Amino acid sequence: MLATDYLGLDLKNPLIIAAGPWNRDGKALKESIAAGAGAVVTESIVSDTLLDVRPRIACDERGAQNIRLYSDIQIEGWEREIEIAKSEGGVVIASIFAHTPSELAYMASKLEKFGADAIELSVSNPMAESLEILASHADTIFDMTQAVVQAVRIPVIVKLTQNTTNISKVAKAAKAAGASGVSAINTVRGILGIDLETAKPTLSTYGGISGDYIRPLGLASVATILQTVDVPVSGIGGISRGNHALEYIMLGASTVQVGTAVMLSGKEIIPVILGEMTDWLKEHGFRNIGQIRGQALKNMKSFDEMRFEPAVSTVTGVACKENCSRCINGCMYGAISRRSGTVNVDRQKCMGCGLCTSICPAGKLSLGL
Amino acid sequence: MNIKQIAKAAGVSVATVSRVLNHPETVAPATREKIQKIIEEEEYTPNWFAQGLNFNRTKTTGVIVPHMMTPMYMELVSGIEEVARPKGYITFLCNVERDPKMEKEYVEQLMTRKVDGIILMSSALEEKYITMIQKEKIPVVLIGESIAANRFNSVNVDCRASAVEMVAHLVEVGHRTIALLKGHDPHHETEEMSLGYQNVLRANGIPVDRKWIMDVENTIEGGYIGMKRMLAAGAPDAIFCTSDEIAYGAMEALKDSGMSIPEDVAVAGFGNNRMSNLIEPKLTTVELPYRKMGIYGARILFDLIEGETDSRDPRHILLQSRLRIRRSCGHQERIGEMF
Repeated sequence: MLATDYLGLDLKNPLIIAAGPWNRDGKALKESIAAGAGAVVTESIVSDTLLDVRPRIACDERGAQNIRLYSDIQIEGWEREIEIAKSEGGVVIASIFAHTPSELAYMASKLEKFGADAIELSVSNPMAESLEILASHADTIFDMTQAVVQAVRIPVIVKLTQNTTNISKVAKAAKAAGASGVSAINTVRGILGIDLETAKPTLSTYGGISGDYIRPLGLASVATILQTVDVPVSGIGGISRGNHALEYIMLGASTVQVGTAVMLSGKEIIPVILGEMTDWLKEHGFRNIGQIRGQALKNMKSFDEMRFEPAVSTVTGVACKENCSRCINGCMYGAISRRSGTVNVDRQKCMGCGLCTSICPAGKLSLGL
Repeated sequence: MNIKQIAKAAGVSVATVSRVLNHPETVAPATREKIQKIIEEEEYTPNWFAQGLNFNRTKTTGVIVPHMMTPMYMELVSGIEEVARPKGYITFLCNVERDPKMEKEYVEQLMTRKVDGIILMSSALEEKYITMIQKEKIPVVLIGESIAANRFNSVNVDCRASAVEMVAHLVEVGHRTIALLKGHDPHHETEEMSLGYQNVLRANGIPVDRKWIMDVENTIEGGYIGMKRMLAAGAPDAIFCTSDEIAYGAMEALKDSGMSIPEDVAVAGFGNNRMSNLIEPKLTTVELPYRKMGIYGARILFDLIEGETDSRDPRHILLQSRLRIRRSCGHQERIGEMF
């Protein structure tokens, strides 16, 4: 039901475990595969394996911030790690990070020899690299991708960032240079919060934000890329439940990647997400995941296509007598009020913005003609 | 225990043990694990000399170092050893004291000793000489720019582009009279930096004035003397030095002349030595990835020694430098220091 063809790789499902320390060596990758992942991406492999700063990860209930998460194993060591990872089967994608085309090409060719099934260029990390993230420039991405594509025979995937003015342009450059696919999005530069008592940020410098915070950004990026470039996309950003994964796939993503959820909940979450995906598809009468892929992308409209109807809000069903004023407080047009204990909408004042329909915890309000 | 005893203990032939050591992928996993377990338990290390006889290898490489007292070269060497050591290789370090004649002598010595490969750093050797080494079936990798770098396996940083970035930053901070303290060596790299310096000045409508370009020895002393000589004719707004050592000397000379850095004269270096982050004011400079240059130099060399390369064309790896903005250049924005 979940089987997916991704860049010519037969995946048993579209759930890929993203690059990160939860995939830091062969053993960890093998665990991700054993938990049911369709494929796994190594922690980003670099040539300057510096000591990592401490602390470097923080989280709250909506997501996480990390400062620098690169592999501490040199390329030479990955020969053995990939062998361990694949010892009982599984698809392993090697994530690499460097600053120049020739270096990336060298790393990619080595990892191909070591048995990697694909390469993911992770040149979009927002952490401590420079104010301008490498992957925000289409021409840089073109040069890097081209060098790597020429160096290997396996598929090359470029991981893109939201920290750019035009992600479509960067995706086009990746495709023009020969990339087989793109992943979107990497973490987004941010500061998780400030401790008011000590006047200190949660972590001592800027970092990459992940988790629920960035899911809307990931969804928009995936949609934008798929509306403009004919390239397979792996959707990333804030996936911790089956429905999140299905949202990305409904927008057209070929596969999805989960990272922060694995970090915060452990690898047990992998079969949970897969189970939720399968259950939803079954309940809705689908036989395979391909049937829903891209269905929501068709429903993305331009302003020109939107119909301007005189829709207004109404209370549906029995009159609302809840002791709650969220719709009243939330109505910027003063159209909602309480009269003799029930909630009423003034059809003359209502401008049809729709906020009350999503603010009402009981789902009592809806827009209609 | 020797290899025969290991073979006996495992109940296999000596050839099988040898294959586990040299080509483990050719041995069945169960047999391989059994033999590896005995090797680990007995803490057996192969006799490299004997192995060298078998494979026509000596498990040694030679590294030509231009100047042992320059800290950056030691970082490079540590990068080389990071790759060489796990492969069971010993590295000969040859300090040639920036003397091309000595460089040739050492290369000949290394060839006599049958090293498996040679790494030349910022080499002064001519193309035909390097070709001659390769004809002897000894792989060569050049680290750092040299006249011949394009035609051989090489690891480089674009020194001109790095200098352009540095000088452009000085202009952006607001400096107009920007001097150049230009080291004598490494010759080719310094010339590239000098061209980058001149390009930025011209692009910003600043005349290139010989008065502000001083040739100095690439040492702390050289920087000190050069700065003193330049100050006799007046003080520029800023000085770009082609090495951090020259910058340390220049800073000392400025302080001795009662000037403050960066208020009176701003200083920028090239290289980002460990000390540049410790002196006061902390030195703005170009960080070169020395360790990584060493790592890649060794990677390419071992690919050649082990016959891992498919291509007959020379391999070039270009690595990226990076500006390290600190206090000495007089910038005000904190964000520049952070990224």
